[in-house]
Amino acid sequence: MDENRRNMLMKFPCLIPQNADFTEYDGYIQILDEEYRMNIKLPKDGKLKDTRLTCDWKLEQILKKYDKIVKQRLNQCENLSAFLEELGSIAEKQLCFQEQMQPTIQRNNCAQLISELENIGWEKVVSVNADFQSFQIKFVDLKQRQHVMQIKLHSQHPRQAPTIIVDLPVKFDIVWTASSTLLDVFNQFVHNVDLYQDLWNNLNELDRKTWILEPDNPTFSATNRRIAISANASIQITVDPKHPSSLPDIKFLGSNQATNPLRENMTSNLHLWDENEGLLHNLSSLLEVTFPSPSNSKKEDFSADCGICYSYRLGMEIPEEVCNDSRCAQPFHQTCLIEWLRGLPSYRQSFQTIFGECPYCSTPITVKMSIRK
Amino acid sequence: MQRNLRMKKELQMFVQSPPHGVSCWTNDEDNMTQLTAQIIGGEGTPYEGGIFKLEIQIPDRYPFEPPKVNFMTPIYHPNIDSGGRICLDTLKMPPKGAWKPCLNVSTVLTSIQLLMAEPNPEDPLMTEIANEFQYNKSMYLQTAREWTKKHAMDDVVQVTKSSSPESKSPESKGLCSVTDKTKDLKRTHPPQPLDDMTNKKVRN
Repeated sequence: MDENRRNMLMKFPCLIPQNADFTEYDGYIQILDEEYRMNIKLPKDGKLKDTRLTCDWKLEQILKKYDKIVKQRLNQCENLSAFLEELGSIAEKQLCFQEQMQPTIQRNNCAQLISELENIGWEKVVSVNADFQSFQIKFVDLKQRQHVMQIKLHSQHPRQAPTIIVDLPVKFDIVWTASSTLLDVFNQFVHNVDLYQDLWNNLNELDRKTWILEPDNPTFSATNRRIAISANASIQITVDPKHPSSLPDIKFLGSNQATNPLRENMTSNLHLWDENEGLLHNLSSLLEVTFPSPSNSKKEDFSADCGICYSYRLGMEIPEEVCNDSRCAQPFHQTCLIEWLRGLPSYRQSFQTIFGECPYCSTPITVKMSIRK
Repeated sequence: MQRNLRMKKELQMFVQSPPHGVSCWTNDEDNMTQLTAQIIGGEGTPYEGGIFKLEIQIPDRYPFEPPKVNFMTPIYHPNIDSGGRICLDTLKMPPKGAWKPCLNVSTVLTSIQLLMAEPNPEDPLMTEIANEFQYNKSMYLQTAREWTKKHAMDDVVQVTKSSSPESKSPESKGLCSVTDKTKDLKRTHPPQPLDDMTNKKVRN
């Protein structure tokens, strides 16, 4: 024990024992040419593995990725001084690595970026990260929708184009030359956002006035909506972002009894589609339905739980299979129904279709195994 | 995944609308796979007045597989053996059984309650009891009643004891006679299962 204490004093003279039991040290540890503040609390039994280490943010930043290794060393080392030496060498390695990887940002580069951000307007800058290499910039459109663009500068900036992450329905490619500025990128973003105003106006109307079963919180890039029609029927539409008023791709979900009349209505009413009208209006007249809306119904009425797992959401899945017997009309998750039917001795499969019986009413039921996106 | 989603809902349902004469709970809040249940013996059955304790184990593949249910309280019944195992089609997988995921712990317990009231001697687990049930029903009823009194009425007896100390002696006398009768029973029935059960009861 005394040996250990002497070792600590010799090797880490700047770490001062805080009590007579030598269970707490406070002070500085030197790594390369810098000193970092550190506090060490040993448990009463002196076992290293339960030691509490606190250090200043700089050292914490350096050791951030090495959490596991540090814990492992704590378990392996015989005494505190041996562990601190290990800790020092881990930090040293990381520091050397950082120096190689990150060429220091040139000052004029920073000044340039600041002036470019100023041109965009500081009120539009949502966040700037610590290394000043990525930014989030927002744009509020006419309908008060807030669009955020994330810009990550290339290490060869400005010779190489930055990486841009946006929430738009169509892939956003920027035009970038060596003389381009962040303002150019922002203007291109604004231009793109303007292109899809019509799409979002239409989709927002649906979001407001109908029950959207999927997606839960639609992003700006989502062009699909699953709209509830009745307790056991819904439609899934996919809108063309460039032509939001034209007839979207429509899929009918639910029991045949419920969806067949809708299909027939659609075929006979196709001529009624008027591109000058909104999507909601057109869909209602096409299918001859009034969509249940949040003003006159509850969402629970349309999001019936799966009869097997008793829940609505199973991971990303919602109950899509419905028993065709209208008296039963029990919904199931595809995964649940397939798993049940597969386990039965009467299990039959032909190509991608599984044949079986509804676990509730024993009416024959078929499931098409679709490959999920 | 399905199991946990479902058990959460099922336990909620037990709290909100428990089936008649049945209660069910988890032994440990974090473990939804080990349940304990109580079934109150139905009126007009030889199990009337008794409270029967059951243990339920929810398998990993639940609800694609049935729950495993066992009686902890000894019961004299053609379809329930000395180890508490229950012969009931809804507790077995098809084609032999009739388990379906539309059933749940609550419906299973209700059908056990029904089985207690209506034994099925065609598919017995205890042949002797089944024979007795078919050909000497009064004997069956008597023994079943005695077993109920002996094993399933502990709580009930205790309550009367503590509430009215004067009635203590006749009560305990009654109990004694029951034990005597079961001793007689031991001779006619294989002794081993009975011992088994008495041991189990002591442990509980």
